[in-house]
Amino acid sequence: MAFMRYIDLYFKLVAAGIRAQLQYRFAFFMRIVGMLTSYAGTAITMWVMLYQFQELGTWNFYEMLFLFAIAVLSWGFCIILFFHFRSLDTYILNGTFDRFLVRPINPFFHFMAMKFDVASFGQFIFSIFIFIWVSAELQIHWTIANVLFLFAAVIGGVLIQGGLLVIISAFAFWTTKSEQFYWVVMYPARNLTNYPLVIYPKMVQWFMAFVVPFGFVNYFPASVILGKETPYFSENIGYFSPLVGIVFFIIAYYIWMLGLSRYKSTGS
Amino acid sequence: MAIIEVEHLMKEFKIAKRETGFLGAMKGLVKREFHTKHAVKDISFTVDKGEMVGYIGPNGAGKSTTIKMLTGILVPSGGTVKVNGIVPYENRQANAKNIGVVFGQRTQLWWDLPTIESFELLKEIYQVSHSRYKENMDTFTEILGLDEFINTPVRQLSLGQRMRADIAASLLHDPPILFLDEPTIGLDVVAKERMRTFIKEINKERDITVILTTHDMEDIEQLCQRMVLIDHGQKVYDGEIAVVKNRFGKIRTLVVDLEQHSTPLTLEKAEVFKEETGRYWIRFNREDISASGVITQITQTHNIKDLTVEEPEIESIISRIYQEGFDGVEQPIPVKSGS
Repeated sequence: MAFMRYIDLYFKLVAAGIRAQLQYRFAFFMRIVGMLTSYAGTAITMWVMLYQFQELGTWNFYEMLFLFAIAVLSWGFCIILFFHFRSLDTYILNGTFDRFLVRPINPFFHFMAMKFDVASFGQFIFSIFIFIWVSAELQIHWTIANVLFLFAAVIGGVLIQGGLLVIISAFAFWTTKSEQFYWVVMYPARNLTNYPLVIYPKMVQWFMAFVVPFGFVNYFPASVILGKETPYFSENIGYFSPLVGIVFFIIAYYIWMLGLSRYKSTGS
Repeated sequence: MAIIEVEHLMKEFKIAKRETGFLGAMKGLVKREFHTKHAVKDISFTVDKGEMVGYIGPNGAGKSTTIKMLTGILVPSGGTVKVNGIVPYENRQANAKNIGVVFGQRTQLWWDLPTIESFELLKEIYQVSHSRYKENMDTFTEILGLDEFINTPVRQLSLGQRMRADIAASLLHDPPILFLDEPTIGLDVVAKERMRTFIKEINKERDITVILTTHDMEDIEQLCQRMVLIDHGQKVYDGEIAVVKNRFGKIRTLVVDLEQHSTPLTLEKAEVFKEETGRYWIRFNREDISASGVITQITQTHNIKDLTVEEPEIESIISRIYQEGFDGVEQPIPVKSGS
């Protein structure tokens, strides 16, 4: 069966990618350390700010940390699976992308399976630590339903953020350079999700819900779990996170394939 | 039976005009002007099963673009392509199973992993059976000496080793057709010879159809009976190599190092076209005069320290065909006497 074959192939390719990464041990460990320190840095900045204000909108410090932890967790997964899409333009530019087109498998799949950024596991340690700490402080009652929902929401978040990385990379098929789009689109979107959307103007909130749906990465699901109000939006909008993720990723895939067909006729 | 059919193949690229300077760059952001580059204008040829064809042309002639259309990487702007009955760009994955591709400049292997791992991954990607994989690996190891470096990461291989690994990798799935884009580029004489022997052998024993592009005239002479010569996106010649060689390959260059002498070098039926601190480049037509005839003339007035006779290079043959046209009357080379 084709699907099973692809799963099997994915694990084999990914295992090879991990072995390749482990060839550079020092860089590998430095990346984990780098990730941990950068997230700790952001958390400290937040803490300093909130120490001044005590709360932001209707969100207190621990609730914001919880929001932050969901973002870090899904972004961590997302980096592991999709981060190398950022360098698609380099592959196209130096011609190494051609190799994905002379093999008898789906080029999107092949490209996706080529790398698996294990170094990002540092983020898990960080976010799990925060989850445990914050859950205790907020006295969140973890039911099975809650945990399942969080899990599904994280998958949705991975697909939304991964989808955006895929869309940005697809620009390389048209412009041969896509790095700048990362800084224009991905970076601001991710930064906005560090804080509850409720503090932003209505326009921004709408944009983050329906255009670049990063609100579904952490703000909406966190509101469901913490029982926070989401003005302008239906109370239960957070439950749509996994669905939004799937739809957004499918759209991203088709944009990528469209770009690929353009590449094949321009060779740029 | 034709295994590759190419008819009126065409490929145009739109290239954005870039203007120089800051203002030009700003203008380019707002409004871009394009000009069309005809990489492949109108090329037709067929290749029979088991044939080995040299696909030759100067840089930018359209060789790689043609290969990319045959492999399904690029979609043609016009004309038709069929490879083993499949239109490559319409059915890229099916086509991929029928072809092996080696790009001399870029490896297909996993850069950071021991070489053997690339083979094992390709085995999975192409769904090669265990037994067939083992048979092929045994054969390739024997002829190409893969065992010397099979556990070395690809990035640490010498160019010669890497090329051997790359060509073996391209044949693991028993493709009936093999595309070799500059397979001997940058290799030393021994490594080149080894590549050629291998290519000849798999062509003969497995009846694999081979299309190769190269700059090295010797590759063509040793490997192919037929060559397709292209220039500026068009076919200039398609046929036996011997014909081209006989027709255009009669010009030889004699390079001599002479001892210092006051008398100028005067030659009949040969021409000094370059001179550099006691070294002379002399051009002559093999039909008008033999190399020894030229040498005899020189020794009458000068002492020769060293000499070599150079065969014509593909570039010079192409430029002559291009200047004169293949069907045009061949003009005798102008031979001036004296220098």
